[in-house]
Amino acid sequence: MASSIARGGEDEGEDEEFEGFDDFTIASSWERFISEIEAVCRLWLFDGPKNLVDKGAECLDHPKNLYKVKSELKYGGKDYCLEFYFMINIDGQATEWDDNLHNIQQSFGVNEFLVIAPLSASGVVLDSPESSKLLSSVAIALSNCGSNWPAFVPVHDPSRKAYIGIQSTGTIFTRRFDADRIGSQVPVRLMHMEGLYELFVAKFASFDYPMNYSKVSFGMKLTYRTPPFDDDEEDVLENMEAEVKESEEGNDGYDHIKVQWDDDCPWAEWYSADDPIKGFELITIWPRNTCESSMEMAELENASSFDAEKWSLYPLISPNMIDDSAGKFIGFASQLRLLVGALDRSFDAKFLEDFVSAENIGSDNSNPAVVIPPPTVRDRVLKELFHDGAQISSSLDLENKNSRAIKGTPLESLFAQFCLQSLWFGNCNVRAIATLWIEFVREVRWCWEESQPLPRMPSDLDIDLSSCLIHQKLHLLAICIKKKNLLNHENHTSVEITGQSSDEKGLAEFDRNEILDLPQDESMVDEFDSDSPDSEGTTGNLAVDTEFAVASPDVQKSCPIRKGSAGIVGNMMLLHSFQKMHAPYTQDAPVMTEDMHEERLHAAEVCGDAFSTSGQLEREILSSDMSAFKAANPDAVFEDFIRWHSPGDWESEEIEDRSTGNKEDPDQCNWPPRGKLSQRMSEHGNSWRKIWNDSPALPASEQKPLFDPIREGEKVLHYLETLQPHHLLEQMVCTAFKVSADTLNQTSFGNLQLMKTKLNQLYITLASSLRPLRANRTHDKYELIGDLRRLCLVFENIEKLLIFASSLHRKLRDAPRLTEAIFNDYFNYYLPKMGNSSASICFDKKFSNKQQVNMLERDVVANLFPPPTANQSWRKVLSMGNLLNGHEPILREIIFSVAHRVGDCHYGSNIPWTHTEEIETHRMYIRGTSNDLQGCVRMWKSQMLIASICFEQAYSSDHLLFQKQFH
Amino acid sequence: MDSASSQPEFDYLFKLLLIGDSGVGKSSLLLRFTSDSFEDLSPTIGVDFKVKMVTMGGKRLKLAIWDTAGQERFRTLTSSYYRGAQGVIMVYDVTRRDTFTNLSDVWAKEIDLYSTNQDCIKMLVGNKVDKESERVVTKKEGIDFARQYGCLFLECSAKTRVNVEQCFEELVLKILDTPSLLAEGSSGLKKNIFKQKPPAAADASTSSCC
Repeated sequence: MASSIARGGEDEGEDEEFEGFDDFTIASSWERFISEIEAVCRLWLFDGPKNLVDKGAECLDHPKNLYKVKSELKYGGKDYCLEFYFMINIDGQATEWDDNLHNIQQSFGVNEFLVIAPLSASGVVLDSPESSKLLSSVAIALSNCGSNWPAFVPVHDPSRKAYIGIQSTGTIFTRRFDADRIGSQVPVRLMHMEGLYELFVAKFASFDYPMNYSKVSFGMKLTYRTPPFDDDEEDVLENMEAEVKESEEGNDGYDHIKVQWDDDCPWAEWYSADDPIKGFELITIWPRNTCESSMEMAELENASSFDAEKWSLYPLISPNMIDDSAGKFIGFASQLRLLVGALDRSFDAKFLEDFVSAENIGSDNSNPAVVIPPPTVRDRVLKELFHDGAQISSSLDLENKNSRAIKGTPLESLFAQFCLQSLWFGNCNVRAIATLWIEFVREVRWCWEESQPLPRMPSDLDIDLSSCLIHQKLHLLAICIKKKNLLNHENHTSVEITGQSSDEKGLAEFDRNEILDLPQDESMVDEFDSDSPDSEGTTGNLAVDTEFAVASPDVQKSCPIRKGSAGIVGNMMLLHSFQKMHAPYTQDAPVMTEDMHEERLHAAEVCGDAFSTSGQLEREILSSDMSAFKAANPDAVFEDFIRWHSPGDWESEEIEDRSTGNKEDPDQCNWPPRGKLSQRMSEHGNSWRKIWNDSPALPASEQKPLFDPIREGEKVLHYLETLQPHHLLEQMVCTAFKVSADTLNQTSFGNLQLMKTKLNQLYITLASSLRPLRANRTHDKYELIGDLRRLCLVFENIEKLLIFASSLHRKLRDAPRLTEAIFNDYFNYYLPKMGNSSASICFDKKFSNKQQVNMLERDVVANLFPPPTANQSWRKVLSMGNLLNGHEPILREIIFSVAHRVGDCHYGSNIPWTHTEEIETHRMYIRGTSNDLQGCVRMWKSQMLIASICFEQAYSSDHLLFQKQFH
Repeated sequence: MDSASSQPEFDYLFKLLLIGDSGVGKSSLLLRFTSDSFEDLSPTIGVDFKVKMVTMGGKRLKLAIWDTAGQERFRTLTSSYYRGAQGVIMVYDVTRRDTFTNLSDVWAKEIDLYSTNQDCIKMLVGNKVDKESERVVTKKEGIDFARQYGCLFLECSAKTRVNVEQCFEELVLKILDTPSLLAEGSSGLKKNIFKQKPPAAADASTSSCC
C-alpha cells in the first residue's frame, strides 16, 4: 500500500509538469486515486468492525463506542486522509438525541461514515471543484465496492463546520448531505422556530420529489445553562467545537458568588475553594411532533419548558477539579504536602533552633521555599491561638468514629489549632514552623510562669492516652497550672477555708468545684442517708475540706487530732474504738502521660515477674491512703482500713448489721462489729499489713504529694523546649492529617452514602498509614516520606470530592435523589483517579453524564435558574423564545424531517436505516443560538450519473442554494 | 535493635488483661495458668504482671498478662493498662452477685472507654465454680451477658483447675483469628515498650512457668 502511494506521488509530480499536455496521464492519475480509495475501503469492508478494533482502530473517547481507522492518500500533489468511523455493538438504532453521537452522526442521522480531508492545517477543502472531485472519487470507489457508507468532505472555512456528503442507498435515490453554519449575525427569521420551519419547507420544496407538507415532523432539544456561578469557559457544550462567544454578562455578579459560595463551609476558615460546579446545563427534550403550519411553530416558542418530555441535568465541572498537577489545588491536601516536606527536612537538624538561626540552611530569606513570615503574621497567629480561644468542649460527636484511631488531638485543642495554623503559616516550610513553635512554647511557658490557664485545653483531669504526646503533655501542663494555682490559693488563705472565700479569678471557682469533685461528695451524702453498705473507694482530695468540715463540726471538736476527714462512712463503727469511721481525703492519683505510663509499665514488666514487686506507684498510693485513713481515724486498726478500702476482704459475721442498726441513733449499732479479714488478707506476711504498719498517720494535705505539679509542669516545659525537630514534625503530621480530616468531616453534603463511605475509608487509611509515626521506632525515612506524599494525594482526591459533594448538595438540596445520582455519576467518573494515588491520570474526556430529572424534581431544577435581575435583563436581548424562568436556551437543536411513502421497488434489501415503507426523505438538523446557527440537510435525490462533471455542477448549485437560504 | 541481634523467640506477642472486682480470683486464675498452682494470694496492689510462652496453632506465642487490682481506688490508673491489649478477661465470682453486676455497671464501660483497639477480644469468666453450693449467678445469666456484650464465655475454677487452660486458650485462638490483632502482635511490629526487654528476662520468666 505504502509503496503504491509513493509511486502515485511520483506520478503526480510528473503530472503537474506535463499538465494540459497529455490528458491521458491526468485521467489515469484520478483513476489511480479512486482505485487507491477503493482498495482501502475494500480492506475496511472486508475486515469489519470487530477486526478493525483488533487491528488497533482508535477509540474515540467522547462518543463512546465510536472507533476510527484512517489511511493517508496522495493525489494531485496533496496529501489526503481518509477516515472511517464506525461503531461496534450497536444495539438497534441510536436514539435521536443520544448524547454519545459524533456531530456528523447527529447532524446527518448516520451511523458509520467516511470522511476525506486534506492533511493541512485547516483540514478542509476550500476549493469547491476540489471538494466535489474528492467526494466523487470516494463515491465512485464506494460504489465500486458496493458499499453504502456515507462519505463526507469538510468544506469552506473550518469555523463554518461545513460538510458536503453523499451516500448511495442501493436504490435509484442517492442521499445528499450538506451542512453549513452562520457564525454571526443570524438573520432574525432563523432565530425563531417559525423561520426555521419555513427554511426546511422551502428547502425540500425546491427539489424534484413531491412532498406532503402535512407530514413535517420535528423533534426539539433545548439546552439551558444556569446563570454563571463562575466565569464562562468556552467549549462547555457537548459536540460543539464552535466557539460560543459568551455574551458580556459573564462577569456580572461573578465575584460576588464566587467569594460567597463556601463561606459557611468548615474549610472556609482556612481557605476558599473554587466552586467545582461552574453551573448546570439542563437539557429538555421535546417529543416528536408534526407540524402543519409555521404558526404552530411560532406558538411552540411560547411553550413552557415544563412541557418537555424529558429533562436531564448535568453539572459543568471546573477544570481545576480534575487537573491534579501540583499547585493547582490549594486546600488542606496541598498544605499537608508541604508539611510532609517539612518533616523530610526536619531530620536535618537536631534542634529546632538550628532551623531558625541565620547561619544555617536557607540563610537567605529570599528563597521562597524557606521564607519565614514576618513577625506581625506570627504574632497574629499566636494571638489567635492563645487569646481568642476558649476552653474546649468535648465535642466528640463532630468526630468520625474512626478519628480516634489516628494519634492526633481533638480538633479544637491548642495543639490541633497550632498544627492548622502552621499549615497556613507562610508556605509551611520547616523554618517557618520552627519559628512558630519556638514562639508557641515561649507563650506556653509564659502561661506556666504566670499561672494563667492554658487556652483550648480539655477541662477534665483524665489525659486521653490515645491523643498525641504533645497534646498529652500540654494537657498535663494545664492540670499542673490548675493545681499550682490551687496551692497558691491555699497558701494565701488559711487552712480553714470557709468555703466562701471570694475568688480572685473565675478560674479558682472552677477549679475548686472540680477538684472537690462535688457530685461524688453528694453521692456520699446519699450514702449516709441510705446507709448504703458500699462506700468503698471514696476518693476525696488533696483539697482541704470545705463542706464536710462545716457539715460535721461536732465530730471535729470531739476528736481534736482527727485530720483530713471527708466525713463519716455510713454507720460504720471502728472495731476497737466506739467511734464512727471517717473517710479521709486522699491524694489524687498522679496524672501521667503516655510516656510516663510506658516507663512505669516497662519497669513493672522488667521486675514484676521476677520479684512480684510490681505496682510501685500503686503501693505509694495505698500507703498514702493508709496514712490519710490513720489520720482521719486515729484509733483505727488495719481491719478498719480494709473494711473501708477493700470491703470484699472483710467477712462480716453480723447478719444485716447495717440495716438492723438504727439509722437515727448510731449508738444503737451493734458494737463492736463482728467479723474477720478474708483468708488472703490475714495471712502472715501480707503485704497490705506491712504497708499499713509502715504508714504514718498523716492527712493527705501534709503528705509528700504523689504528684508534684511544679516538678511535672517544669518537666513538660523541658520536653516542649527540647523537642527534636522530627519528633515535633511527626506529631504535627499525624495531628494535621487528623484535624484536617475532622474539619472536612463537618461539611454537610446531605445523605451521599458514597461520600460517607469514602470519608470513613479516608480515616481508616490515615490511621493505618500514620501508624508508623506513632511508634517511636526508627523508620526508613524515604519510604515514610514517600508513603506520606501518597497519602496527601489520597487526601486531595477526597477533599476535592467532598468540596464537589458540598457544592452539589447546596445547589440541589431539595432534590436528594438527583443529587445522589449526579454525585454517583461523578464519583464513577472520578474513581479511576482515586484508586491510583501515585500517577496522575489524565482526564481526556469531560464529565458529561446527564441525569434525568424526575417530574417532582423539576421545580428544584428550575430554581437553579433565578429570574434575571433587572440589570441582567436589559443587557440581554432575548431573541429565541422558549424561556425558562426568563432564561433562553443557550442552544436549540431541531430535527425536521419529512417521510415519504416509497414504493418497494425503489430500494434494495441492504438499507440499514429504515424498516418501514415510510422513508425519511428529507431531514434537516439545526443547532444554534441567536448568533450561531448550524444547519445540516440530508435529502434524497434521484440517482444520477456519479463520477461525472454533471454531478459536480449539480451539487455545487445545490450547495449555493442552501447557502443562499442561510445568509 | 533486638531483632537485629537475635531471632525473636516468639512469633506473636499478645497483651492480655484481667479485670473484675476485688476478690473474684483474678490473681489466682493467673497463677493457675502461669505456674499451675493455687494458693491464697495477697490482694493485688495495683497491678501484677506475668509472662507465659505457649505454642498454639503452630505459632510460638508470648503472652504478657496484666493482672489488675479490683479495688476502686486503683482504678484511676488502670486506663493505661488497657492500651494495646488484644484480649481482656472480665472475671466475676459465681458466688457473689455484685461482682457479676459490676461487670456491666463498671468494667464493660471501662473497656469501651480505654481500649485502644476496637477489635480487642473480650472474654467473660465466672470463677469459683468449685463452690457450686454457694453459686448465685447461673451459667445462663453468664451466657446472656456474654451474648449481649459480644464476648467469649467460660466458667472455671482456679482452685480445681477446671477450664483455666481453656479460658486462655480460647481467647488466644480468637485473637489468632483476628487479622488486625494478629498484625499488632506480630513480632516485627511489637510495641516498643517490649523492645528493650533483655532476652534474659524473658527466658527466666519462661522457664519458671513451663
